[in-house]
Amino acid sequence: MILPNTLVVLVGTSTLGICCGLIGSLLLLRKRALLADALAHSTLPGIVLGFLIAGSQSYWALGTGALITTLVGAGLVSRLPVVSRIRPDSATASVLGVFFGAGIALLSLAQRSGPGAFSAGLDHFLLGQAAGMLQQESLILAGAATLMSLIVILLHKEFLTSCFDSAFGSSTGMRMNTIDFIVMILLSLTIVISLPAVGVVLTAALVVIPPATARFWTDRFTIMMAISALIGAASGISGTLLSSLRVDLPTGPVVILCSSFFFFLSMLLAPHRGLVGKRLRWKQRSQRREMLRILVHLFENLKEGNDFVAKERIIAGSMRARPDALRLCQSNGYVLQAGTHLQLTSEGIIRAQRSVEARKKWIRWLDDAAEIDRNLIDLDEEDIEKLLSSRPLLDQPSPDKKPS
Amino acid sequence: MEKHGFAQCLHDCKGPEMKDPAIEIHDLTMAYREKPVLWDIDLSIPKGSLCSVIGPNGAGKSTLLGCILGTYKPANGWIKIFDVPRDQSQELIGFVPQRESVDWDFPIQVLDVVMMGTYRSLGWFRWPGKAQRDWAMQCLDAVGMADFKSRQIGELSGGQQQRVFIARALAQDTKIILMDEPFAGVDAATEVTIREILIDLKKAQKTVVIVHHDLQTVEDFFDHVLLLNLRLVAAGPTATTFTRENLLRTYGGKLTLLDEAAEAVRRIRSGRSTGKRG
Repeated sequence: MILPNTLVVLVGTSTLGICCGLIGSLLLLRKRALLADALAHSTLPGIVLGFLIAGSQSYWALGTGALITTLVGAGLVSRLPVVSRIRPDSATASVLGVFFGAGIALLSLAQRSGPGAFSAGLDHFLLGQAAGMLQQESLILAGAATLMSLIVILLHKEFLTSCFDSAFGSSTGMRMNTIDFIVMILLSLTIVISLPAVGVVLTAALVVIPPATARFWTDRFTIMMAISALIGAASGISGTLLSSLRVDLPTGPVVILCSSFFFFLSMLLAPHRGLVGKRLRWKQRSQRREMLRILVHLFENLKEGNDFVAKERIIAGSMRARPDALRLCQSNGYVLQAGTHLQLTSEGIIRAQRSVEARKKWIRWLDDAAEIDRNLIDLDEEDIEKLLSSRPLLDQPSPDKKPS
Repeated sequence: MEKHGFAQCLHDCKGPEMKDPAIEIHDLTMAYREKPVLWDIDLSIPKGSLCSVIGPNGAGKSTLLGCILGTYKPANGWIKIFDVPRDQSQELIGFVPQRESVDWDFPIQVLDVVMMGTYRSLGWFRWPGKAQRDWAMQCLDAVGMADFKSRQIGELSGGQQQRVFIARALAQDTKIILMDEPFAGVDAATEVTIREILIDLKKAQKTVVIVHHDLQTVEDFFDHVLLLNLRLVAAGPTATTFTRENLLRTYGGKLTLLDEAAEAVRRIRSGRSTGKRG
């Protein structure tokens, strides 16, 4: 049973998921995923300072404080590598540590000598408590997240250029610095608005995991962004629902657990880049190579007049062929077993002949190519024949000089 | 023209002033930190030429391209593009980056890369549409890669990757194109294709500047040459500038080694072309 308040919170966390998924894609493709973590941690001193200055736990006071220190952190991370010799990753790690340290120090001060009542809300900001959000807070969250998502969608072409080839972008006169600046601002805002729902410690995960998951499913930037947004929304919704089942369960960790569930699912099952598919394709490929090896071996024997070859010699001996490949030969009808011996069928002879021919041509073609295309080297006969009919040999040997 | 001071003397020594060059560089020094990577460069590249930039590793060849593109701001001196100072020039320059600088695992397909060439003409916020797609397809076709439009870029061979990035530069439709080592690590088929493209570009009156590493092919491919090693050693038409003496000044002692290797390659090649195969 979903309460009206939960519904509003759901709208908030799902749009937040979309926004994080979109912005996270940009970070991941720039290989700056850690940046999200650094900025999230640099909100903490701002939250506490906001509380100390305003003297209350109001949404706006804490949010403004968080935004200010995050922007300072973002500025440091992007400027330090430019003005000094510190590398970007060191700058990011330093900002994370220094700001979080300062935040914790301020926090214990505030808890001891501040206007009191802060400790109660502390874990909400560290770990998030979406169910505890007011309706108004959820609506602000939803509005801001939608607006930022729209900006990312509208500017996707600029972001694509800056992620993929920033040097090219600036050579065409696109303002790469402005674009980087926009990314930083959007990221900082996203992190600040997600604090009440997901919390300081885990916001970064909501930014990083959805795009990493989406990468398994596609080879295109725009589609990756769309999938990432979808996974972000799904994690937001499922996390909020699961955590609202029991009031004392913080939302942040549950949202992250949901998104990492999608991550592992994708890592295993995605069709092209998933581990299971890769393993299966690898196995099929090697089995087929093994099958052709057996066929060619039997074919050579046949040419020497040995119609039958002992199975023992194929499985063990100098061949050491894999038994599963031999079974594949038999199930394809290429090889017949007569007692302890093996014999090529007429289909098997044709297949072996064709494979040998194609291989000869293919090797001649590869000899002429100065580089080897790893996607192409291991082809089936059909592919080779098709490829070579469309791409003739550069330096075709005349028939009289055919290699013997 | 304005007064140039001492560099003008050097400039004068290098022969007569060129008539309206595509790119003019004057007293250029470029330094990332204190030490310069390019020092006191003066040169002009004529309009419509196929120009190669030659020099040892670390000579500042890529940096020179970066300065012309406007990616780097020189410490001293200036660059003019079609007689307009670089920082005021709206003139666009096509660019083919070095292979190593590209993230080949990036989720982007061939056609999307080529379409990037049209982004500038679209301006902020506007999405590429059918017109851009058709134009990109046309450019892809020009480099013989139309069949590969939906491949992820990492799934191509080195030569094919190079051609895709040339197609992107073509899609920019600029009067000047810079390429950073387009012939590095490409197969014979790609080398032929790139040469054909260069010849077409020359016919279309484009100015092409190419960082090149293979001394063997300079005379065949290019009509203009810049010899660079932190400073400009020599610049001019290939026929008069690409001399053994100038190469020695550019590469120093390393050339002897290069020479021997080149001689060996030449012998092998001539042996192959007389038909001793298989």
